[in-house]
Amino acid sequence: MALTVHRGISIVLIIIAIFYLYLAFQLPSFMNTVIDADTIPKITGFLLIVLSVLYFFMPVKETEAEKEKRTEAKNDWHYILGMFVMTFLYITLLEVSGFLVTSIVFIFVCTRMLGYKKSKTNIIVAVLVPLFLYLSFTFLLNVRLPTGFMPF
Amino acid sequence: MIDFGGILSGLQMALSLEGILFVFVGVFVGTFIGLMPGLGPISAIAIMIPMTYNMDPTIALVMMAGVYYGAIFGGSTSSILLNAPGVAGTVATSFDGYPMAQQGKAGKALAIAAIAAFIGGTVSVVFLMLFAPVLSSVAIQFGPPEYFALMLLGLTAIASLSSGSTIKALMSALLGIMIVTIGIDAQTGTVRFTFGSANLLEGIDFLVIALGIFALAEVCALIINRQKTTFNAKTIGSLKITKEDFKEMVGPMSRQSVLGFIIGVLPGAGATIASFIGYTTEKRFAKNPDEFGKGSIKGLTAPETANNAATSGAFVPLLSLGIPGSGTTAVMLGALLVLNVQPGPLLMTENPTLFWGVIMSMYIGNIFLLILNLPLIPYISKILAIPRPMLISLVVVFCIIGVYSISFSIFDLYVLLAFGVIGYLMRMFQFPAAPFILAFILGGMLEQSFRQAMTISGNDVSIFISNPLAATLLALAAVSFLFPLWQSYRNKKKSNQTLSM
Repeated sequence: MALTVHRGISIVLIIIAIFYLYLAFQLPSFMNTVIDADTIPKITGFLLIVLSVLYFFMPVKETEAEKEKRTEAKNDWHYILGMFVMTFLYITLLEVSGFLVTSIVFIFVCTRMLGYKKSKTNIIVAVLVPLFLYLSFTFLLNVRLPTGFMPF
Repeated sequence: MIDFGGILSGLQMALSLEGILFVFVGVFVGTFIGLMPGLGPISAIAIMIPMTYNMDPTIALVMMAGVYYGAIFGGSTSSILLNAPGVAGTVATSFDGYPMAQQGKAGKALAIAAIAAFIGGTVSVVFLMLFAPVLSSVAIQFGPPEYFALMLLGLTAIASLSSGSTIKALMSALLGIMIVTIGIDAQTGTVRFTFGSANLLEGIDFLVIALGIFALAEVCALIINRQKTTFNAKTIGSLKITKEDFKEMVGPMSRQSVLGFIIGVLPGAGATIASFIGYTTEKRFAKNPDEFGKGSIKGLTAPETANNAATSGAFVPLLSLGIPGSGTTAVMLGALLVLNVQPGPLLMTENPTLFWGVIMSMYIGNIFLLILNLPLIPYISKILAIPRPMLISLVVVFCIIGVYSISFSIFDLYVLLAFGVIGYLMRMFQFPAAPFILAFILGGMLEQSFRQAMTISGNDVSIFISNPLAATLLALAAVSFLFPLWQSYRNKKKSNQTLSM
């Protein structure tokens, strides 16, 4: 029995379900409730195991369209990874250097990384959009965005 | 009985300056985001949620509803001009809309789509006005067992009706229920699945999930297609349609307004399914079915009427039962809960202005959409020329600011990113995300009503069977769960037999 994509997925799901069930069985119980906090989680975990096992043994054949969809990112995976890494850095620096600075840098660098070469337009958008957002959130919606080391 | 007082107060609200302004903002943003291939109505609504804090709930819902039907309305433009549907509900629009545009009749196709969408949207609001109150008055007698059965039916229906593999959709729904069990259990106070993190005590906010699984994951798809689609606004041509064209449109418009609405009301089905069914039924009715796919007016009118009719239909269960029938209305329900509004059978009597205000504003919203999409469409479609790399960075910033402004928590932003990765993986392996978000929204209510019902009955499961309405709904849920499984098993068996012969 070959390890196809769908079997790999079902194994991952079975592991998730077992881990979830393990945690569900650790939950403390209360005497005076009819249905305790662990009932629905246990049912959910068991159902996921049943369905994943069923899926494992189903004769699923990957169609060409499905394969294309699965591998469509093969030339662009480094861009997607780059986007996620940059978003991670953006989040980490958000409260350190403030919303305005971080967003301006993020929009400029991310747009450029993804292949937009007109620096002038890029700078204008990267500055104006965060500024507009900052002003409208602060003054119209009364939501304080992080300022970081900046005074505003 | 018709509640004229409620209708009048709703109309008053819809015609107030604020009501008109925000329905315009809603449909404009909806059209804008709907135009962008890849960004769907769920992302559009989720991105708009932070704007609604401190807003009057009625105005907020008026705007949010505008975003929803505006996105479906606007999605047709990119289907016609680029053959790249802006939203899933307008895929069928491209079948005949794009060939028509290639024949140099893009303007005519856009005009037909706008008129069909307007008729579908407006006629179905009339049905919404008639049916939502009736359903409300029935549902007011629902107890926990009926609600449990109804929610279960909603979950299994979306799994079986959504395109592709049923079992994948069901697994996706179970994962959604797992995520919603994180946090303090409201009934016993038990802390569940938090790994000792104080950040998870209140559970994961639905906005984090919606923006992660939909918006961030859609950003990845935009990255892959970032070089595609160059658009030239000069190629639109005349928007005129002749009397003969209109005569051809009347039949499909009148049929699909009704059919689309009914499909929209059904749990699990929405604009996408309505548009496909609309297309195929009209093809069957047509005198020259061969024209379909080559730029047929009927073939363009049918899905456009049906998908817009379905969006109003989807509001029937949302407003009168408080139960979302699709991923998009699930996000809308989540947005309402953020605003402290609990939709359900009591909404119409307790908050008639909200109930009727939203419905009334839909007439106004549809008129705005007709204006935006008919005379102004050559200008608006220039939005399509926004460079993709820039759009991608901006969407990420909108997601971050949206989550941060509700929780002020960096931890939630990391969770958002994690769900972005999960959403991307689900997309890659074609696990439908709509059942996930629907189960996440319904999961909490499902558990609550199950426990309430069991408490009422004194731990006796037969309460779900002895109650005739709950039993019927549960039987329907079982059928909608088992039938597709059996069907795919039989198909496999058949194809295996033909192979071995």
